[in-house]
Amino acid sequence: MTTIAPKKEPERESVLVRRPGPEELHPSRTHRRRRALQLALAVAVPLVLLLWWQLAAAQGWIDDRVYPAPSTILSDGWDRAAAGDLWPDVWATLKRVLAGYALGTAAGYLLGLLMGSLSLVRAALEPLLDALYVVPKLALLPIFLNMFGLGEGPQIALVATTVFFFVWISTMSAVIAIPSGHRDAGRVFGASPWQMFRHVLLPASLPSVLVGARIAAGVAVLVIVASEQIAATNGLGHLIFDSRALFQNDVMFVGIVCVAVLGVLFSELIRLLGRLLTPWAPRDRGRGQS
Amino acid sequence: MKRRAYGAVVAVAALLASAACSASHTDDSATQAGARQRTVRPVEGCGAKSWTDPANLSPTRAPARCDSGAPAPKPLPKTRKLTIATGTLSAEYVAPLEVALDKGEFKKEGLDVTLKVLPTPDALPLLAKGDIDALWAAPEAAVMNGIRGGFDIKWVAGNFSPAAGSKSGLWVRLKKGESAASVPMAGRTLGTMIGKGSVIAYPMQKALASHGGGLDRIQYRQLGSADVLTALRNGGVDSAWLLDPVWRNVDGKPGYAFLGGQPQGEPLGGMLYGRSLLNGDVDAGVALLRAYIRTVNTYFASDYKADAAFVTYLAKLLKTDGTILKSTPSLRMDWEIRAGTTTRLQSAYAAQGAVQGGDPLPEAKTVDRSLYEEAVGHTP
Repeated sequence: MTTIAPKKEPERESVLVRRPGPEELHPSRTHRRRRALQLALAVAVPLVLLLWWQLAAAQGWIDDRVYPAPSTILSDGWDRAAAGDLWPDVWATLKRVLAGYALGTAAGYLLGLLMGSLSLVRAALEPLLDALYVVPKLALLPIFLNMFGLGEGPQIALVATTVFFFVWISTMSAVIAIPSGHRDAGRVFGASPWQMFRHVLLPASLPSVLVGARIAAGVAVLVIVASEQIAATNGLGHLIFDSRALFQNDVMFVGIVCVAVLGVLFSELIRLLGRLLTPWAPRDRGRGQS
Repeated sequence: MKRRAYGAVVAVAALLASAACSASHTDDSATQAGARQRTVRPVEGCGAKSWTDPANLSPTRAPARCDSGAPAPKPLPKTRKLTIATGTLSAEYVAPLEVALDKGEFKKEGLDVTLKVLPTPDALPLLAKGDIDALWAAPEAAVMNGIRGGFDIKWVAGNFSPAAGSKSGLWVRLKKGESAASVPMAGRTLGTMIGKGSVIAYPMQKALASHGGGLDRIQYRQLGSADVLTALRNGGVDSAWLLDPVWRNVDGKPGYAFLGGQPQGEPLGGMLYGRSLLNGDVDAGVALLRAYIRTVNTYFASDYKADAAFVTYLAKLLKTDGTILKSTPSLRMDWEIRAGTTTRLQSAYAAQGAVQGGDPLPEAKTVDRSLYEEAVGHTP
């Protein structure tokens, strides 16, 4: 859009003329171009950085024995995947994340719903949960080790606890924020508790809950990697820190890349799930496009 | 305008891609042109007993020794600052370095030594890059991986082997009908605080193999130092690798058997040098080993724990409990490296899956005996 002021003529009143911009003239073409530019940037920036890294390693600007080139990492990752060495660790981490995530989301949603709906329950539990929320979740690992012993228990419990708080807070605040008129309308129509949940609380709270669940998805991966370093004999976190201790830098970077990919895929899966579950909510089209 | 931007991105990408396909990093060993040529002269006080044949693997071999106070210091023309990394300052095997520092043996050589506590995984990249000069540790799997990756790191001196009376090693809870002579270890659990790729993998493999087990045929439980003994006692694990002086708690008790420990007469750790002392300043590298060897000859030549005053001094220096120090026999300090140790270590690492594939590295790439041989005046 361009705005121009015509030459002043003393006898005429000043008029501001607004010429239509490309958005108005060719809306679909402009939108397509913008999308293409965004997509190009999203691909080009990481690609240029990767090529820069490759160049630095190849030219000896960085020590490629300590910081292996992306091509080395890719080839090593491919070899490990083809040989079947990588999948047991990926699967071990994925299992822990999925189990912990499912437990934490279910518990967080139920308690958030309860505390958001019943002020007495909120008064009773909120101070305690607020206090627990600020405790770094990794600090709870020794307690979970004592409770569940060696094995999968402590890892799953740690992920579940981390996820729980994100989902609980977003659910509770979403339920509290539901306008009282919506509840009143439900009551006027004689809605049963189930109908109130199904037709009022769930649709109104779900978009916010899913935002919390998406944040929790990333944090769940973050926590499990740290936890596997301390108390696991497999998984991507174990792979990363084990290979660091064995001075296998290429394997360490393969582990880091796998964690990044796992985190992105898991987060995108939750976003997709959110879109399917809440078609009425404003559409979140993803990074750089929303 | 937009076309120009796209063009620029494509041009940058093409430039980077083409440049990336060109040169590559040269490894340290490749840049090390030829072997060092150094003159070795006989050293007063270091006679025939100051060197033993590396091929002699007898457990009863007497470790090499010079006279007390030998080899005499040969101060460098200019003081050289050296940093040695060690995983701990309170373990008994670090005592020769701490005594050398305390008694001024390094200073006599013109060395200004700093001992820095750093875990091996943190210290190794620094040693490889030349940010620290030496590492008092062991040729662990990480070291082998580093050498294989092109870093110039070598094991240049040994540290100790256990005394004949030591039972630090693999202990097992006996089941009904079992005795120390017949304990099938395959499929059993083993508790240890020692991580994958440690040199202990080698004696562990040896002890397990003699009882029908192997590193690939047992289940590991990596536990904290305080938990290993507890887990063995309460049945959490079937066997455990017990260190000094923890094994004293089960020694002689019914229901427990000692299956084997670190081989006698074969040190599995010691001094590792990076490129700064292997290639950059070899004189300083020899001077450091000379000070270490002199300290061993002067203070640790035989049963050093027989001297109560020295044990008290050591306990204070190491900041440890004197009674714990007295409860175990003296270590046999030994600066020499046996033939084939790194090959045997690599075989154990391979069984653990702790080393990258390929043939084991030859000893010429992992061990350099010439520096301690020069310090005692031995000509190969």
